[in-house]
Amino acid sequence: MAFIQAVLDGLMIGGVYAVISIGLTLVFGVMGIVNFAQAEFLMLGMFVAYFAWAYLGLDPLIGSILSFIVIFCIGLVQRTLIQRVMKAPPVAQIFLTIGLLIVIENLALLAFGSSFRSVSTSYQTSSLRIGPLFVSVPYLAAFCMAVLSGFALWLFTDRSWYGQAMRATAQNPLAARLMGIDVERMQQIAFGLGVGLTAFGGAIVLPYFTVNPTVGSQFVVLMFTAVVLGGLGNVVGAVIGGLAVGVIQSLSALLFPIQLQNLVLFLVFIGVLALRPTGLVGSSR
Amino acid sequence: MTKAVTPHVRGVFATRRRVLALGAAGLAMPFVRRASAKGAPVNVGVILPLSGANAQFGVNSRNGIELVAEQINARGGIKALEGAPINLVIADATSTPTTAATVGQRLITQNNVVAILGAYASSLTLALSEVTERRDIPLMTMSFSDQITGRGFKNIFQIIAKASVLGAAQLDGTVAIAKSAGQTLERIAIMYEDTAYGVSQAKGLRDAAGKLGIKVVMDEAYPLGITDVTPLINKLRGANAQAVFPASYLNDGLQIIRSMRQQSIAMPIIGGAGGYVIPDFRKALGEYAENVLSIAPGNYDLAPQLTDAFRKKYGYFMVHEALEHAVCLDVLAQALEIAKAADPAAVRKAMSEAEFKGGWCDAMPGGVVKFDQTGLNTHAVPMMVQWRGEDLVTVWPDQLAKAKPVWSAA
Repeated sequence: MAFIQAVLDGLMIGGVYAVISIGLTLVFGVMGIVNFAQAEFLMLGMFVAYFAWAYLGLDPLIGSILSFIVIFCIGLVQRTLIQRVMKAPPVAQIFLTIGLLIVIENLALLAFGSSFRSVSTSYQTSSLRIGPLFVSVPYLAAFCMAVLSGFALWLFTDRSWYGQAMRATAQNPLAARLMGIDVERMQQIAFGLGVGLTAFGGAIVLPYFTVNPTVGSQFVVLMFTAVVLGGLGNVVGAVIGGLAVGVIQSLSALLFPIQLQNLVLFLVFIGVLALRPTGLVGSSR
Repeated sequence: MTKAVTPHVRGVFATRRRVLALGAAGLAMPFVRRASAKGAPVNVGVILPLSGANAQFGVNSRNGIELVAEQINARGGIKALEGAPINLVIADATSTPTTAATVGQRLITQNNVVAILGAYASSLTLALSEVTERRDIPLMTMSFSDQITGRGFKNIFQIIAKASVLGAAQLDGTVAIAKSAGQTLERIAIMYEDTAYGVSQAKGLRDAAGKLGIKVVMDEAYPLGITDVTPLINKLRGANAQAVFPASYLNDGLQIIRSMRQQSIAMPIIGGAGGYVIPDFRKALGEYAENVLSIAPGNYDLAPQLTDAFRKKYGYFMVHEALEHAVCLDVLAQALEIAKAADPAAVRKAMSEAEFKGGWCDAMPGGVVKFDQTGLNTHAVPMMVQWRGEDLVTVWPDQLAKAKPVWSAA
């Protein structure tokens, strides 16, 4: 029973990891840039939802939509920065995104101060009981929102013209351009969408997590692990990677001290990469 | 502080810069003149985590220090040094030990500090103390890992009890409070973040439990910055403990208590200071904070006549780290009066020999501060505090208690 409970908890938290990781993998898939500042957008998304709760009285789960919109727009503007290094050597791209990470984090420290902020909602201390199993309501709510957003993203990329154009850009920018697709515009939208989704993921964990300007560092490693585990640039891979990270963390706590949960995670991670360097669902590109 | 900067002037734009520089110098003038009329200002280094994970506690500490510095300067500075004012040189240790050591080095070589206060987190203080010891600069701290005074250093002065003593008192106090409610404590759970602070506090608890014959049914460390505490709470649920002792900062502390509520685990919670004794704890948890107990090295209700000034200035109660840093600065000022020189060696001598009374020392248990050869304040005693509405009330030991403790499932 403890096993089922652990898997359940792991899946629910993994759902959230999946959403924030999709954002990262999307940016890489379409633009070919590893955005090290991605976790800072998670932090910004959390702050948007926090302020929406504090001043507008919006529940963070609804505020998360606002987070997505705000950060999506910021993403569109910020793209002017990334565009300049698109053809630069990878080192320049790495420096740019890491620099961005430091700038955003410290601006947030200046603007919001360093204190931890937490929302209080009616459901955050309740849970559902299914026989001997406990389902935490804030976890479940976050998971449902994650599934909804994943579904919305699938609809967008699979059914809409923009989504198809974006996938075409990811597959072959040159061919896409020949087909009359505005590649720069697609990349811009992909970036906005990527950071917006990560921000959304940050907002939906707000009912059980506190926000402060350095919160990104707590998620950045998990996020990259999920993405690389699934295969860089692969959206389905990010979902599977995210879920896997959650479940591995949760299960490892059953067998080993909790202190070692990330050690176990990285052992599995190294193992997977040794056997399948392209990730769980990645095909050799 | 009033170092003049001469810009290399060239062209038309530089004149504006020169005007600015002149203006800045002009603004700084009154301070220079006041300084020369009185004794030269005494530079006191303050190294705290002002950014990063522990920033909030660093800012609280800085507020306490600034309050006391203002008070000392307002009443005419250090009298034995012709009224020299205290000049705080504040530096950010971030939350990384190596940075704490680097900025310590910088303050000593560049700012000529007579002593350093800091660095809140034990891991930072340990790194910083390596530098201050080598350079023979007194370091006053309210960090409490056992290692701090356990290395035979000559230049460290710790204002509060050590972690192992805190851990032991945490259990003793809990046993006493349970007993007053007619309960015998037999099985406890310990969970702690795996930093210097959590580890040494857990060790204190564990050792004390061994001595009292209390069974530790759960003893679990978890990484700093944990993103999901569910596994921890699942273990707690299966552990059949009577009370839980979490040693954590704020984020993990909130997650732990919320997850306990979700799973309807009702047992007394005895926090290990850190995140359990700050206003944000109550703000985030609301009614769920009520009656949560915590160990504390100090509490503002022991000397409201002193700590109310803090509440008035900053709008929240004087948290213990602010209080203890305030005491540190007051003790340093008293040591300067005795030493009659802004000289690190003389200050260290005064600090290790004298007994300090009055002023902010009144906010410490016993109202006295006296350091032994290891640099530990021998009069410091830990206390238990409990949340009552918006306030933290001292409830144990009896001679310090301001209210009767309540033994209840939080």
